[in-house]
Amino acid sequence: MTAISVKPKRKSKKRDLAFPIVNTIILCLIMIITLYPVINTIAYSLDDGYDALRGGITVYPRKLSFEAYSNMLKDPAIYQAAHISGSKTIIITLLNLFFTSMLAFALSRREYIFRKFITTVLVLTMYVNAGLIPNYLLIQNVLKLGNSYAVYIIPSMFSCFNMIVIRTYICGLPEALVESARIDGASDITAFFKIILPLCLPVLATVALFVAVGSWNSWFDTKLYNGGKKDLHSLQYLLNMKLATTNNSSNAAQTSVDALASQAQSKTTPITVRCAITVVSAAPILIIYPFLQRYFVTGMALGSVKG
Amino acid sequence: MKKTLALLLAVAMMLALVPAVLAEDLEPITVTVFRGDPGDQPTEDNKIYKLIEEEFGIKFEFEFLAGDLDETLGLKIAGGVYPDLFDGGNSAEMLENADVLIDMLPYISEEKTPNLYKHIYTENRIAQLLDDDGHLHIIPNYGINYNGQVQNAPSGPQFFLQKQVIEFNDYVVPTTLNEYFDLIERFIAANPVNADGTPYTGFAILCEDWRHFCLINPVQHLMGRPNDGEVIVDVNTDAYTTTTFINQPYAKDYYKKLNEEFNKGIISRDTFVMNYDQYIAALSNGTVLGMFDQAWDFGGATAALNDAGMYANTFIGMPLVYDESYGYGVIEEHYVNGTVMNKDRGFGISVTCEDPERMIMFFEELLSDRWQIILQWGIEGEDYYVENGRFLMTDEQYANLNNSEWKRANKANTIWESCPKKQGLMDDGNAWAPGDQAEIYFGQMNAYDIDFYAKLGVRVPGDLFDMTLELAPYGEAWQIDKTPIEIDYEDFNNIQDKRLPELIMAAPADFDALWDAFVEEINPSCEVYSAFMQAEVLKLVEQALGN
Amino acid sequence: MTVNARILPKRKKSLWNIIVQQKWLIIMSVPVLLYVLLFNYAPMWGWITAFQDYKPKDGLMNSDWVGIKNFSWLFSRPEFLDVLRNTLAMSIINLVFGTVSAIVLAVLLNEVTKTGFKRVVQTVTYLPHFLSMVIVVSMAQNIFSSNGVINDFIGKIQDLLIKIGLMENKPMPVFWLGEKKIFWWLQGVINVWKEVGWGTIIYISAMTSIDPCLYEAASIDGAGRFKRILHVTLPGIKSTFVILLIMNIGHLLEAGFEIQYLMENSQVQDYSRTIDVFVMHYGISKMQYGIASAAGMFKSVVAIILLFGANFIASKLGEDSLI
Repeated sequence: MTAISVKPKRKSKKRDLAFPIVNTIILCLIMIITLYPVINTIAYSLDDGYDALRGGITVYPRKLSFEAYSNMLKDPAIYQAAHISGSKTIIITLLNLFFTSMLAFALSRREYIFRKFITTVLVLTMYVNAGLIPNYLLIQNVLKLGNSYAVYIIPSMFSCFNMIVIRTYICGLPEALVESARIDGASDITAFFKIILPLCLPVLATVALFVAVGSWNSWFDTKLYNGGKKDLHSLQYLLNMKLATTNNSSNAAQTSVDALASQAQSKTTPITVRCAITVVSAAPILIIYPFLQRYFVTGMALGSVKG
Repeated sequence: MKKTLALLLAVAMMLALVPAVLAEDLEPITVTVFRGDPGDQPTEDNKIYKLIEEEFGIKFEFEFLAGDLDETLGLKIAGGVYPDLFDGGNSAEMLENADVLIDMLPYISEEKTPNLYKHIYTENRIAQLLDDDGHLHIIPNYGINYNGQVQNAPSGPQFFLQKQVIEFNDYVVPTTLNEYFDLIERFIAANPVNADGTPYTGFAILCEDWRHFCLINPVQHLMGRPNDGEVIVDVNTDAYTTTTFINQPYAKDYYKKLNEEFNKGIISRDTFVMNYDQYIAALSNGTVLGMFDQAWDFGGATAALNDAGMYANTFIGMPLVYDESYGYGVIEEHYVNGTVMNKDRGFGISVTCEDPERMIMFFEELLSDRWQIILQWGIEGEDYYVENGRFLMTDEQYANLNNSEWKRANKANTIWESCPKKQGLMDDGNAWAPGDQAEIYFGQMNAYDIDFYAKLGVRVPGDLFDMTLELAPYGEAWQIDKTPIEIDYEDFNNIQDKRLPELIMAAPADFDALWDAFVEEINPSCEVYSAFMQAEVLKLVEQALGN
Repeated sequence: MTVNARILPKRKKSLWNIIVQQKWLIIMSVPVLLYVLLFNYAPMWGWITAFQDYKPKDGLMNSDWVGIKNFSWLFSRPEFLDVLRNTLAMSIINLVFGTVSAIVLAVLLNEVTKTGFKRVVQTVTYLPHFLSMVIVVSMAQNIFSSNGVINDFIGKIQDLLIKIGLMENKPMPVFWLGEKKIFWWLQGVINVWKEVGWGTIIYISAMTSIDPCLYEAASIDGAGRFKRILHVTLPGIKSTFVILLIMNIGHLLEAGFEIQYLMENSQVQDYSRTIDVFVMHYGISKMQYGIASAAGMFKSVVAIILLFGANFIASKLGEDSLI
């Protein structure tokens, strides 16, 4: 008996040594592969505009230049736009988390009579889309939300996909948790806020990330409803515009029929601007991520209950 | 005497004050503007817009295009919320078809708006500008010249070669297709690789999306016609017979030549999967010897080559035709056309604009010589100077014109680009556009180019071309709006995009059979397309010659 | 009669009771329901444009009615079947590659014990998600061009093989970007490259709900690392996997737009065009809103059928279902 139990133990010890090494090597390889495009983008963003046109940049800039960044950051409108983008991202994330998780809880309750009906209605919204024009007419002409800050917030307060993600997570929690709360005489809403919500931190962090990234990166809403209102321009909209104008001025001669081959242009080109924009707009999200990462630890949800 | 002088002075001063008085009378308004192009918002204290506000009492709120133009216009039309001044960019037809723009004609008369009147009635231009119902929706933003046209370097479609290849050929510029490829072959035989050891590509063909004109347009030029898009119009008869050329035997000659060159390795197969960025990268590296393109399409590459001091790798354009061996007789080149009005492009006034008359008067004033100079040259002493009656700029002043940050504060670009404007020469011989002014043009030219053109025996690159500047009565056929047949048009383009590269890359023995199959496949679309274009061309000719 | 009369009021009463009992659940969910009805369902009347020759200036009410002309045009196009095939093929490739790679990476990450290293890997792998497709595609086009890094590498291996006599002569370099058959796989690889890290986030968050006791118990039972993964980790994320799978099956006609649009060239067009790219060329950019609507409606109907099908099968198999 003892002999048998010793043997597998040794074997598994050996394997336990081998596995972390192999695993580390694999993960490092994956890191290199996924890091390359990022480094390449940064290298391009720091390269001289004309030099970058030549292509062939890999991991470091050939001819260092900060022009793409300085050109972008010199414009005072950028800061107003960053303010709009930042504030709308925070507001949307909070509201969206609130409504989405509340609904996810309600729809996770198997005894809820409208569960199937509401779920079906909501899930279908992910698959049927009325198209751009009717949506535009609803918000612009019916709800009259054009040229306002509210147009950023009101249409993005709920997302079905995230609701499903949270609901799945809640369903994965032990049923007994809610049951015990109910036995203690707590109402559904108390059970939600006091018991379920704290347990959902990991999934809430995930969903917060999804919502925040989506909202931070959106520019189409600005284009549709606030394009003519320059105080309400979002950062991504402005950056998009910067890129488009660089694209355009690289064919500058198109406008003035006889213009010289653009000799004295400011030395930014679409390639460097595009890359610098990517870096600038991704940076804030990258800063937030480590804070959210704290919640991604196995067993954390249950650990917190027990502790 | 003194009294009369004083009186005259007083009158002169009064006259000078008129615009200011006008502004006092007019209530200040904010005008909303949409431009169907991306753009930069001007700074708050932009000096030209300040001047406009002082003089006209008009403040602007700009919106620029973000994303897709057609989609944006479609939404604006559907929503019914229009800006006061509406420039639909390259899809302004949508605005006209949707009745978004007012008819400007009733507001324009010789007495009230002499500048505008002269602008659009001279040479019977108006005939071409009216729509079928006799309405004028848009005054063209470009293409109306005063005192002749300045064409130093044609920017339209042409064949290009690196200047070093011309040097290699002892400064003899090829004039026919066969000479062109023969020269490329000889150059590559002598210099297979550049200084870094990278092999040269003989000829590149960009065929990405709408830029496929590099692939499908050359044939008409080889046959001695200007840029009519995808058709050849016979201007020698009153019938103006309009035919697509891509399914004709003389198109086969060109693609057969390309097929030969491909099989000789002069054209690389990578060329057909290249996107625009890769194309520009290849050109900027100086390893592509030749291509068919338009100068503005690769402006970035030219700038990059100049920036790196690789002047010998920059390009020079030339007008090629088929030589007599092809059996079409002696063909005279006709690459450069007379200027066409940029019809249907520029500001229209939307039906929701509250005071269209004031907008017209604004355009009228901007078209005065004084405002044209302000808009194009700037403020004397600050942005340019005058010496012996000639308008000049220091290098720094000229460099500012290409500095987008400076322009945001010192130029009224958005308004200028969409407004009616004067091009060509002023009455005193100065050029309206600073870049066209000879002193500035040659002043900006680098030493290599000055030497190169001297050895070539030309003053400017345009001297290589026939500069008769004739324009057929229908203008240039590529301008015709193809909305009514757009699905057929897409098919027509699709077949070419797909089959022409296949033809070029085919084995020489298979070429003839593949060509016949291609012609058979594309013929139905050609018929629809040429019938449509024929009718449109005749309509334009009738409008131009009718009165 | 008497039986029914006795039962009916009782049932009504109990329904009312349930509503009262579940009042909080109703309060929590009905406002969002109304919100969704307004923002997602009300614009659905726009679908009538599928049966119109819609012109923005005429509006939805006054555009010409054309019956099913838009649909028949769409279905009778010679390339429609190709486009449908490409869409399905690429979407299945993306679904399988995307899911498998995300789960594998999530599991590998879960096995890392050093928190610092784990976080670094997580952060790095999810970075490419933030690059725009334009950048990623242009990078990929350089890497896969005939004289790019990949062909360089292959060329070197071939040289080596020739040297040691395992190969006779060097074949032509692979024309990755211009080969019809390669396109589907190439876009799959690029998609995985860009999204693998982002895809793991959802699985990693699902793994947080696994009770650590289960791992301990498995270890005590003598389960090795692979057994633990098989019997604890994977079952722990099964419901997330099943739900995502059902959702994605509904999205099978959404193979993406950007990557195919950006990577399309005349050489691969027959294999690269998806429904969305096709509609872009013939519908939206040509102002043919009717055609775009018809295509949208077709996609939605197929999506709903697939969704309910997948959901039904999942619930029959005793798995968690979406609805």
